[in-house]
Amino acid sequence: MTAPLLEISDLSVGLRAGGVAYDIVRNVNLTVDQNEILAIVGESGCGKSLTALSILQLQASPPLHITGGSVVYGGSDLVKKSKKEMRAIRGSEIAMIFQDPMSALDPMFTVGSVLVSAVRAHQDVTRDVAEKIALEALADAGIEDPRRRFAEYPFQLSGGVSQRAMIALALVNSPKLIIADEPTTALDVTVQAQILDRLRALKNERGMSIMLITHNLGVVASVADRMAVMYAGEVVEMGAVSDVFAKPQHPYTTGLLGAVPRLGAGEADLVPIPGRVPQPDELPAGCSFADRCSRVVDSCRTTRPEISVRGRAEVRCFNPVS
Amino acid sequence: MSAVIKRVLLTLLLLQLSSLAVFAAIRLSGGDVTAARLPASATAEDRELFREQIGLNQPILTQYVDYLGNVVRGDLGNSLTNNARISTLAVEKIRNSLILGGAAIVLVFGIGIPLGMLAAFRRNSWLDTSISSAAVAGMAVPNFWLALLVVWLFSSTLGWFPPAGSGGFRYLVLPALVLAAEGIALTVRMTRSAMLENVGQDFVRTLRAAGLSESRVYFKHVLRNSLLPIISLAGLRVGQIIGYALVVETIFGWPGVGQILVNGVLRRDYPIVQFFSLLLVLVVTLGNLAASVGYTLANPRLRK
Repeated sequence: MTAPLLEISDLSVGLRAGGVAYDIVRNVNLTVDQNEILAIVGESGCGKSLTALSILQLQASPPLHITGGSVVYGGSDLVKKSKKEMRAIRGSEIAMIFQDPMSALDPMFTVGSVLVSAVRAHQDVTRDVAEKIALEALADAGIEDPRRRFAEYPFQLSGGVSQRAMIALALVNSPKLIIADEPTTALDVTVQAQILDRLRALKNERGMSIMLITHNLGVVASVADRMAVMYAGEVVEMGAVSDVFAKPQHPYTTGLLGAVPRLGAGEADLVPIPGRVPQPDELPAGCSFADRCSRVVDSCRTTRPEISVRGRAEVRCFNPVS
Repeated sequence: MSAVIKRVLLTLLLLQLSSLAVFAAIRLSGGDVTAARLPASATAEDRELFREQIGLNQPILTQYVDYLGNVVRGDLGNSLTNNARISTLAVEKIRNSLILGGAAIVLVFGIGIPLGMLAAFRRNSWLDTSISSAAVAGMAVPNFWLALLVVWLFSSTLGWFPPAGSGGFRYLVLPALVLAAEGIALTVRMTRSAMLENVGQDFVRTLRAAGLSESRVYFKHVLRNSLLPIISLAGLRVGQIIGYALVVETIFGWPGVGQILVNGVLRRDYPIVQFFSLLLVLVVTLGNLAASVGYTLANPRLRK
């Protein structure tokens, strides 16, 4: 087994501002292997986007800071890198795709000019060569008429084409890992499927890895190899998608899967999880899910469970579903 | 195209209405028109004769129609003070005011935008605090007082620049600076707040994630997005500079439109006031037009 492409160990990210200090992402362990799609699933506010942003140190800092742990990529810890070293990694080694392509592209510049800037931020090439690389990236991202789109402004593009332009921007320096933060959430369902197909194809064609952040379990089931479930800033369960879907072990994962509507099932079969997610500044002493959990035992209230290997997955629970 | 025609027609209507307002205002504001031209010893009959000569005994509407007719024929009239032809006077006065006003505009944007950018780039640093405080001071200090202050400091005390008059570049520095002060302050604040607003936009994160350098993100992308509100209010800055030119030209003895207009009002020199007031209306209108054309050109959404 080869070393993972990216290894996040015990990562915590917190808010530090004027007497306020609490962690929003807590002791997260994740690995992304070569040529795989890892999905990170969770409700909004569970810390999945912040985890992703902190990999590239793009969290809004201040007030958000990495308060512990490491993010090892290519044998070195990204947390310890200088601003200049991080800039060299962003886009060229690890790239990122964001949620709302309409607001994520600069409205004042053409798609092409931003792509060319991105190429020339990492590669010492002439403008002509950079343009050629940009056009190839647009084609690779599944854009029909790259030359035309190259000269267009974001407001002239549809949502789907904008998101492809974002993918092209992520591809343009041939990174080994793409972090896609809810890449299809803002798009129509038919366009969603095309974008996901494109991402999966890119993974196979280029042998790269994708970290896919989503709250949509359907997306996870259709494209991801492995998945991590996050709750209140922690990874509560991680394993192969087939294993987790077939045999969820953490009660939260069970609840999450139970809350997905299925065609043909009655309304009674849709089981919501009772209660609400605790805020990061009012977390209980023990397990953060204890208050909402149907399988709660005494130790859940007092001690925070560690994440540990159980069967074929890793689970953070004292009384997992067997 | 129809938008252009509409705009031209509106401008003409505006000029027409302003001319009426100025024409009426200067006549209704009292004062003795003969004092400027006739010696103090002139008799009441002399003064009455002079009024008749320049048509002041006619009904005001007749006077206005006569005046409009002359203007349309290209006759702007003569100064009541020294009988000089206004068309001759205007060339020199406009040239001087364009030099001063142009220098002030260059300072407003040439100093205001870079300082605002710097304050935003180094936000909450001592540099930002100094720039922002200076900007607040620049808006609060009335320009006539600032004029006295810079004359005291740079002329009387340091002797770097002459206190008043016109001539070479040295004469231009102080009045241009005073004229531009408030505009610089406003531009600094606008640039800073627009930059800070845009730096929080999603696209900035995208560009950082693509590995663009911080200075490129700031000084190319954030700046370009921040220029739109600055351009759209550039017309306002032009109007402001014109308004202040009346005060500043008078204080510094700068022989421009502002100075001749102020003197014209004081001496009730009707033709001078009428012509130069309308000129200012025209320049403010053109300034706004230029700003809206600039806004259209700078905004890809409107350009396409």
